[in-house]
Amino acid sequence: MSTSTHTQGAALHVQSISKAFGGLKVFDDVSFVVPAGGLVGVIGPNGAGKTTMINIISGRLRASSGQVLLGDTRVDGRPVYTNCAGGLVRSFQQTATFSGYTVEDNLISACRFSGGNRSVLERLAPLLAQFGLIENWHRNADVLPYGLQKMLGLTLALATQPRMLLLDEPAAGLEKNERSNIDAYVRFAQQELGCGVLLVEHDMDLVKRLCPYVIVLDGGRLIAEGAPAEVLARKDVIDAYLGGSDEEDDDAQHS
Amino acid sequence: MTSPSAARLPEERRQPLFSGVEWITLALVAMSFAIPLLVTNPQVLSQTNLILIGATAALGVFIMLRMDLMSFAVPCFMALGGYTVAILGIQLGITDVILLGIAAFLVPAICAIPLGALILRLKGVYFVLVTFVLTEIVQLLLFEGEPLTGGANGLVGMPAVTFFGVELFSNAQVVLTTCGLALVGFLVTAIFTRRFRYEFAAIEKNDVLAESLGLAGWKYKAIAFSVSAGVSGLAGFAIVNVLMTAHPSSFASMSSVNYITYTIVGGKGQILGPLVGAGLLVSATDYFALRGEFSPGLFGLLIIVVTLVAGGGLVGLATNLLRRRERKAGVAVKELSRVEARS
Repeated sequence: MSTSTHTQGAALHVQSISKAFGGLKVFDDVSFVVPAGGLVGVIGPNGAGKTTMINIISGRLRASSGQVLLGDTRVDGRPVYTNCAGGLVRSFQQTATFSGYTVEDNLISACRFSGGNRSVLERLAPLLAQFGLIENWHRNADVLPYGLQKMLGLTLALATQPRMLLLDEPAAGLEKNERSNIDAYVRFAQQELGCGVLLVEHDMDLVKRLCPYVIVLDGGRLIAEGAPAEVLARKDVIDAYLGGSDEEDDDAQHS
Repeated sequence: MTSPSAARLPEERRQPLFSGVEWITLALVAMSFAIPLLVTNPQVLSQTNLILIGATAALGVFIMLRMDLMSFAVPCFMALGGYTVAILGIQLGITDVILLGIAAFLVPAICAIPLGALILRLKGVYFVLVTFVLTEIVQLLLFEGEPLTGGANGLVGMPAVTFFGVELFSNAQVVLTTCGLALVGFLVTAIFTRRFRYEFAAIEKNDVLAESLGLAGWKYKAIAFSVSAGVSGLAGFAIVNVLMTAHPSSFASMSSVNYITYTIVGGKGQILGPLVGAGLLVSATDYFALRGEFSPGLFGLLIIVVTLVAGGGLVGLATNLLRRRERKAGVAVKELSRVEARS
C-alpha cells in the first residue's frame, strides 16, 4: 500500500441509507457527508441506530437501500476486510483485542493484516507512549485494565493506516480522566494521518470539545445537523436525546 | 509518562519461524528413522507405523484447531490420499514414492477446496457434524464405487513403493517409508502453521476484529482446510503402504475420534501435542490389549478428563510447569542480584 493513498484523504458520502430488519425499520433515508480529513460527530439516544449505521458503512451489514461512497468508490455491501484495505476502518464499542496476545503482538497483527510493517508502529509511538501502552508492551492484552484495553483496541484501528475511521463510542466505559486520551487519539488521526473521523459518542462534553459538526439520529432518522452548540440547544434534540419526561431524567441520574 | 517526542518502541524481537517446540518435534520424528535400522522386533516396528500414522493423521485435526474448528473429516481425506495411491500403484503401475506422495497430498488438498467453500462458513458444532457426515458419505462412496474402489473388497495387491528405483519391501523399509511420510507431514504442518500464526490466532480469538483490521478470514480457512486434507492424505498413503491394501475400514468415521483424542490429549496448542498424544495413546491401547471397540469410549472419557484437568493437554501442562519453574528461577535470580547489589 503506497503512502500517497493514505495521506490523501477521501470524503465519506452516505446517501439515503435505509435498513429494515423484516418489518422493523431501524434506519430511514439517512444522508450526510464526512469531508476528507474531517470530523463529524453522531449523537442520539440508545437504539437510535448508531451502531447499525457503523455496521452498514463498514460493510458488516447490507443496507436495504441507498449507498455509501468513500471518495468515488462504493463501499456498502463490500466485505469488511476489503473496505479496510481501502482505508475505511471501524472500532468497536466493547474492548476488542486479541486475548492471550501481548500488546506488541496485537499491534503486529493489525499491521500484518492491513499490509503494513513496523514503520507504521514507529509512527504511532508518541500515541502509544501517551496511552501507557509502551510500558505494557510485553504484557498480555487481557490482563490490562479496561481503559488500556480499550485504547489498544482503538490503536489497532490506527495501525491499519486508515483514511476514514468509524469510531463506535470510543469513550464508553472510560474513566473521566482517561477520556482525554480520546481527544489525543482523534487529533492524532486527523492531524498526523490526515484521516477523516466519524465519531459516534454519548459523552456530550467530548462531542462538544472535538466535533465542529454533529448529526443527531433518533429512531433511525436524521433529525438535526449542524454545529454542536446550536444543535444541542434545539428543543426536538433535547426531547429526543434526554427524554421528555422528568421521570426518565430521575432514572438517568440514579444510574 | 514519556514525552511524546522521545517516544520509542521497545526493540523488535527477532521471531524465528520455528520455536524450540517445532525443532524438538521435527527432531523426534526424524529420529524415528533410526528405529527400523536398529530394531528388528516386528512388534516394535508395527507400533512405530501405527504411532507415526496416527500422529500424521492427528496433524489434520491440529491444523484445523488453529482456527478453533474441530474437524472429523480427517479419515475422509486419508481415504482420498490412500485410494489415489492404490489406484496409481495397482492400475497404473506407478511406484515411485515421491510421485505417489505428491499425489497423496495434492488430490485430497484439491478436493478440499470446493468442499471447504461449502462447509467452512459453519462454526462450532455445525462444522463438527458436517465433517463427520462427510466422512460417512465417503465411506458409502468407497463401498458403492466398486469399479474404482473395489467396493467391500477394497483394492488389494498394492505393489511395494520404490525410492529412486530401490524397492522398499521389507518390514523395516515399510517403516522407513512411514517415517518419511510423517516427517514430510510434520514439516509441512510446522512451516504452514508458523508462517501464518498471527492470522490463525486472530481467526481463533476474534474473527470479527480480524476482518475489520483487513484479514480475509475465509482465505486462510480455505488454505488451512486444503493443507489439512493434504497432510491427512499422506497418512492415508502410509496406511495403504503398510497394509498393501486400500480398504474402507482403514478410514472408518469413528477413527476420527482417535485422531482428535491424540491431538487434544497430547496438546492442541503445540505441534508436539499430536505426536505425544499418538505415541502415548497408541502404546496404551496396545498395553491394555484393548480391542478397537472399546477405544472410542475410553478415548471420549480421556478427552473429558484432559479438558477438565489440563486444557492444553500434556504438552500444555508440561510447558506451563516449565514456565512456572523458569519464573521462580527468574525471581530467585532477581532476588540474588538485589542482595548482591546491596552488599
